[in-house]
Amino acid sequence: MGKVVSTSSQKSAAEAMASALSSMEGVDAAVSERKSGTSPRNIVSVDCSGESWRALAECMRVEHDVDYCSMITGIHWPEGSPDKNWEVVYHFMRMGVTDPPVIDGMVQPIVKDPTSLEGKEVPLEIEVRIALPETRDPKVASVQDIWVGADWNEKETWDLVGIDFEGHVGMRRVLQPHETPVGFHPLQKQHKLRYHDFEEMYDDAQGFLRKPSDAGKIK
Amino acid sequence: MAEMWISMGPQHPMTHGLWTLKVKVDGETVVDTEPDLGYIHRGVEKICEARDFTQITTYCDRLCYASANTWSHSYIYAVEDLLEVEVPERAEYIRLIAVELQRIASHLMWLGAYGPDIGNLSVMVWCLREREMMMDLLQELGGSRMHYNFPRVGGVKRDLPHGFAQRARAKVSLFLNRIQEYEALFDESTIFLIRTQGVGYSKPEEMVNHGVTGPNLRAGGVNYDIRTSHPYSVYSELDWEPPVERPSIKGADCYDRYRIRVEEMRVSAMMVLEALDKIPRGADTYHEPGDPAILGKAPSRAPEGTSGSHHFEDSRGESMFYLAGGGEGRGKMPYRASIRSPMFITIPYASKCMVGYKVADIPAIMGSFDPCIGETDR
Amino acid sequence: MNLRGWVEGLVGWSMDNVHDALPSKDLDLTVTISPPKGIWPEDILLGRVVNLQDGFADMQPALEGLFSATMICTVVFTTMMLTMLPIPYIERKFIGRLMDRLGATTTLRSLWIGESGVTAGEWWNQLPFGMGAPIGWLNKTLNSIWGNDHELEAVSRVNNRGYHGYWFLLPGFFQAFADFTKFAGKEHIVPKEADRPVYEIAPVIIISTTVLVFAFVPFGPHFYVSSPELSVVFMMAIFGVAPLGVFFAGWSSNNKYTLIGGMRSAAQLTAYEIPLLITVLGVCVISGSFNVIEIVDFQAEESNVWNLFMLPLGAALFLITMIAEVERIPFDMPEAEAELVEGWWTEYGGMRWGLMFAAEYQRCYAACLLFALFFLGGWEAPFQGTMESLPIVGGGLEFLLSLIPGIAWVLIKAWALFAVFVWIRASLHRVRTDQILEFGWQWLLPLSIVNLAIAMFLRVWVWDGSWGIVAPVVMILSGVLGLVILVVDEDKEALESMKRPYSTYAVTKAYPGRHPDTKLEDLQRQYKAYSAVKAASSVSLSDTEAGT
Repeated sequence: MGKVVSTSSQKSAAEAMASALSSMEGVDAAVSERKSGTSPRNIVSVDCSGESWRALAECMRVEHDVDYCSMITGIHWPEGSPDKNWEVVYHFMRMGVTDPPVIDGMVQPIVKDPTSLEGKEVPLEIEVRIALPETRDPKVASVQDIWVGADWNEKETWDLVGIDFEGHVGMRRVLQPHETPVGFHPLQKQHKLRYHDFEEMYDDAQGFLRKPSDAGKIK
Repeated sequence: MAEMWISMGPQHPMTHGLWTLKVKVDGETVVDTEPDLGYIHRGVEKICEARDFTQITTYCDRLCYASANTWSHSYIYAVEDLLEVEVPERAEYIRLIAVELQRIASHLMWLGAYGPDIGNLSVMVWCLREREMMMDLLQELGGSRMHYNFPRVGGVKRDLPHGFAQRARAKVSLFLNRIQEYEALFDESTIFLIRTQGVGYSKPEEMVNHGVTGPNLRAGGVNYDIRTSHPYSVYSELDWEPPVERPSIKGADCYDRYRIRVEEMRVSAMMVLEALDKIPRGADTYHEPGDPAILGKAPSRAPEGTSGSHHFEDSRGESMFYLAGGGEGRGKMPYRASIRSPMFITIPYASKCMVGYKVADIPAIMGSFDPCIGETDR
Repeated sequence: MNLRGWVEGLVGWSMDNVHDALPSKDLDLTVTISPPKGIWPEDILLGRVVNLQDGFADMQPALEGLFSATMICTVVFTTMMLTMLPIPYIERKFIGRLMDRLGATTTLRSLWIGESGVTAGEWWNQLPFGMGAPIGWLNKTLNSIWGNDHELEAVSRVNNRGYHGYWFLLPGFFQAFADFTKFAGKEHIVPKEADRPVYEIAPVIIISTTVLVFAFVPFGPHFYVSSPELSVVFMMAIFGVAPLGVFFAGWSSNNKYTLIGGMRSAAQLTAYEIPLLITVLGVCVISGSFNVIEIVDFQAEESNVWNLFMLPLGAALFLITMIAEVERIPFDMPEAEAELVEGWWTEYGGMRWGLMFAAEYQRCYAACLLFALFFLGGWEAPFQGTMESLPIVGGGLEFLLSLIPGIAWVLIKAWALFAVFVWIRASLHRVRTDQILEFGWQWLLPLSIVNLAIAMFLRVWVWDGSWGIVAPVVMILSGVLGLVILVVDEDKEALESMKRPYSTYAVTKAYPGRHPDTKLEDLQRQYKAYSAVKAASSVSLSDTEAGT
């Protein structure tokens, strides 16, 4: 039937990477099995401390061929434990993509049979979580130079959540207007959604139940 | 003539959406680019923190309005990962049919917009007409023409309606015929070939490092597809292969990116036909909404500390949702919903691809990457 | 239809009547002043003896010239504007058909207007005496040839179309009037930093030079404003002044888009003027004159062969360069909406834009008319010379053909050629500016010189009062050969193994042209049966009206 990567090879590849990464200082990697659709997925889930993030990133890129940065999520946990006031979750994938070779003046597309991939070629998902303690200006090392895909993701995370990335060149607002006031990062939890419960939005057309702080504002 | 910055957008017929592309030109040659996004930033991620898991599906349709089903399914798979839900197989087949029909519709919209970018006005009408056929089918499934709100946590909203299989087969096979006409208008036209070949080169390794996936990556000669590499749903049960294009020596150019999407339309059409044959209990049986054959049981709360994510092959690349549990309503709402949009990452990359080419190549290159600003700005 | 003769006759008759109505006696209007002898010695004679009739007779030729010129100008200008009205109509309707392309069904169905009681559909069945049966057969055959036999889509999606024409005639004809009324009502905006004098003068240049071209375009053998010896030279010269106006417009609008558009336009039009002029020179050489009327007479009377057949290369070159000159797709980069919004005329609004838009269509129309006059024999019916020289029926045919005014033939040819322009516009892509320039300088210019050489050869060595048989046949065959070489698809195996990619690792292989795939054809054959199943099964038609 359609050829897809087998679960067992992904699991073994994930375990190999997890054990290799756990040997680094400040890093704790494990394989977490997720049920998704008809077949389970095994992803490498890594907990890392802020200081060892850069070293881990370089190791992942160089030794484990993690070539793709998918997304960077910043989360604000104001009511979390004191060590985990901020969290940065990186989502990577190892794709195993290389440029197709040129043979006889023609490019030969690389058509891999997914069922027969082994070792470092097995595609993997990696999730790295970095917990930051309570602070006014959370910072993490930037990996913009390792994966260019992280560039705009870091800009967005700073823009919306407020987590700064040290060493990031050209940090600017990307989703909010350029003139947004400094220090305004909407996804932080102190910014409440107005009319937080949706019932209030629709059932109160004339605004009798509006909060006093919203007086004079248009919804 | 000195170098000058031209601002293409935000109101511009070419830009496929609401964004600004500032280009620095030296005569007719592009020297530098700077994309400017965020004009339709609606704050979906923040809104999701105050909505039930079922309510968020409606927002996800509107992320990329041209390809609504792929986004709502992408979200639903992430929720099912978070809540650890089992989905019945018939529902997976129905979801596959909806997603692949949506992929065809999205690529048709792209082709219909790409033609006028290059100058061919007729193909827009032709593609939109075939897209109407797909939208008819999706309307039968989902109830409306564009934003379907089709999947539910654990399954789908409704089963295939009466006679859907027969109509879908007729329309999809008619559509397969019509693709040949588009190819006649594009591939057999020397002008199209000289406009799109040799323009906008991109290589796979560079693309992956920049975060570009999907048809743009497969145009580079690599058969990486999330449906096969991180398998989900029932793609493994259908006989198909992700299409790959043989690029030119310097990399994938606009022509390759165009060709790969035409082939993807064919592949998706074949998948739909095959899925209709292989769906368990047959395509003509009908189950009421809520029947366990099409909707599995799902918890409604995700306790704090859990998280769920899912990588999904959207029409434009890899889309992903990351949901952190433990939000409002004692876990009924996500604490954080984070959305990965392929186009948010591809647009800066496409802007880099434009440097060195002429101003007239800007629509060709930008159009070939298939931007959709709804998902970019969220 | 001897317009000039009628006008001159009318004016002459009226002037003569005025002359005769004037008194013929001498009028003594002299005044003699006798100043006192001390101041001035002689009598001063002031005034003259006036004879009104003679005075008028002196002025009469000039007056006649003035009046007849004015009248002819008015009539010709009005004719030009009126006959230009079908041009946007053809464009709109033909593009609509091409784009809709739902096969013969839509086209034939949409000819029915007035749908009360008769639904869109097979209106031909409503005609009495079964007259509509051949139309129905034609519809069905065309649909089945061009793969449109899926009624499910063709019928259910097109639905009923209402046509709101004037009574039953020409639906959509008055759209052009509505458009111009709208333009006339819009505000005239001048950008703040724009160079105002230049901004205002640019449309004047464009529109006036375009209208001036029609000064020498003959619509019929006696239907022209004036016909000097070098009318072709003047027309081409005037045609080429408009790029100056375009550049003025682009520069003065203080807008980067228009600047780029204006520069592209200037470059493109300059590049294509030269092959155009050399091609026209070839036509003049082969026809032996620079006067348009003499060129048409050459084709109609002397040679009996249309220049199209003697100079196929020249005709093709003329067509291509003219499409570039009037800035239509595939050469409409200067106003390419995908990049430049509207190009060099972005900042113009209201009537100025309306008139420039009209000027663009006028240039198209002038191009079509010139092609009809230079290459298609102008006001001569096809095979007119041959038909008239037939032994028995020649006389009768000559009489019948003389009933149709020459202007009708010119217009038919010009409109048909415009339909070709529209066809090209609907199907081709836009060529990039540097590719346009490359094409113009590297391909068209040498080809136009080759064409000129061919024309000179033909005129000097082959022409001896007539073309004979050999020369036209050779030229026609060479033209057809050229067309065949350009049109025929190339070697498929070579394409497949080309270094340039036309193959994919997918379910079906792709290369330009047909895509035969047995698996696909099997599937299609299998699922085509569903159309028949739908008709036959109990699942009724209303159930399959998807989504309505």
